Amino acid sequence: MPDLPERKAGIVACSGEELAEGTVARLAALKVLHELRPGNTVTICLPLFLAGGEGDRAFARFHPTITVDGCELRCAARGTEMYSGKPVASIVVNEVATEQHLGRIEGRRCLNEAGKQAVDVTAQRLAELVDQFVGKRPSGARVTESAEPQLVAANVGTCSCGSGVPLNKVLIAGGTVELLALPLIFQHFRERGRAPEDAGEDLLRTVKIYNYVPPEAEANYREAILREYSAFCAHKE
Amino acid sequence: MNQNRVVVIPCSGIGKALGSVSREAAYELCEELRPDQTQLVALSKLVLGEEQARERVRTSPAVTIDGCKQMCAAKLVRHSGGTVLREVAVFEVFRRHKGLKPEGIAELNSEGRQLARKLAEEIAADLDEIAEGGTHA
Repeated sequence: MPDLPERKAGIVACSGEELAEGTVARLAALKVLHELRPGNTVTICLPLFLAGGEGDRAFARFHPTITVDGCELRCAARGTEMYSGKPVASIVVNEVATEQHLGRIEGRRCLNEAGKQAVDVTAQRLAELVDQFVGKRPSGARVTESAEPQLVAANVGTCSCGSGVPLNKVLIAGGTVELLALPLIFQHFRERGRAPEDAGEDLLRTVKIYNYVPPEAEANYREAILREYSAFCAHKE
Repeated sequence: MNQNRVVVIPCSGIGKALGSVSREAAYELCEELRPDQTQLVALSKLVLGEEQARERVRTSPAVTIDGCKQMCAAKLVRHSGGTVLREVAVFEVFRRHKGLKPEGIAELNSEGRQLARKLAEEIAADLDEIAEGGTHA
């Protein structure tokens, strides 16, 4: 088995501006991202699934994604499934509030007491789901900017959430193919001291987790990925 | 809901303070400055393609407020068949008010709230001008 890159959980909130529950969804997501599980989570603005590029739409295919919605319309859960990938779990603030007898949530701009409690309870639920799907990492283990991969040709989302998954164009057997998450995979292999000479098979297996590789073209893919990995390592030295 | 009201759609940006300014400005406009002339529509509904929200943007002019260059709100209004009356980019308004640097996503700082207020006031002035038959926007 290849040594897989550590994944982060994706958190997608509806941010529904019309309802106070949308504010709860947004603040709960932010609490998990910034306070409860900063090293284990990433987010993306929901509208980017439509307004952004392929790297943005790859988000839920790359990150096990948990959605948090304010109401039963479940825009984040359904929108994520429609445009990116099926979420591994979803939470609806209304349901959490009812279950916890929190009372009526009000104040989309400034939450009332029930709303603030709903933020805490929802954030806690989200954090538990993050632990379930990507494991718990010590809070001090936040990934630093310098540890992030920097492939020159990567096409990543440039939204204010800044979390698009890198998508690289690679020349394979005379054609151009877009491959997801290459820099992340390369970085992971390099950090584990894997030399290009002996990484070919494991690299291909890892790339196949995030990308479709036609069986008949595996040898060509292996060769191209190895070439890119060699270049990546040389660039880093 | 009054179909003649201008639809206001902020971008839902969750990663940086500019997205929060967009949201705050929309509330400032719709709740404080021009509550009788505007209606807020959640962008997430347009992502989903929710029919009521699509109908609202198709039948009323829209003001979009975006936090970053992706301009998600403006793009999705057009994608939904709506007409953008005024397309506002928060970063451009910030360029004109450099002293008001927004910080904080979950809770905007004072400067961020002031920037949101200025942005909302500019849109309100534009709406007034349009209502009086002007052509500014």
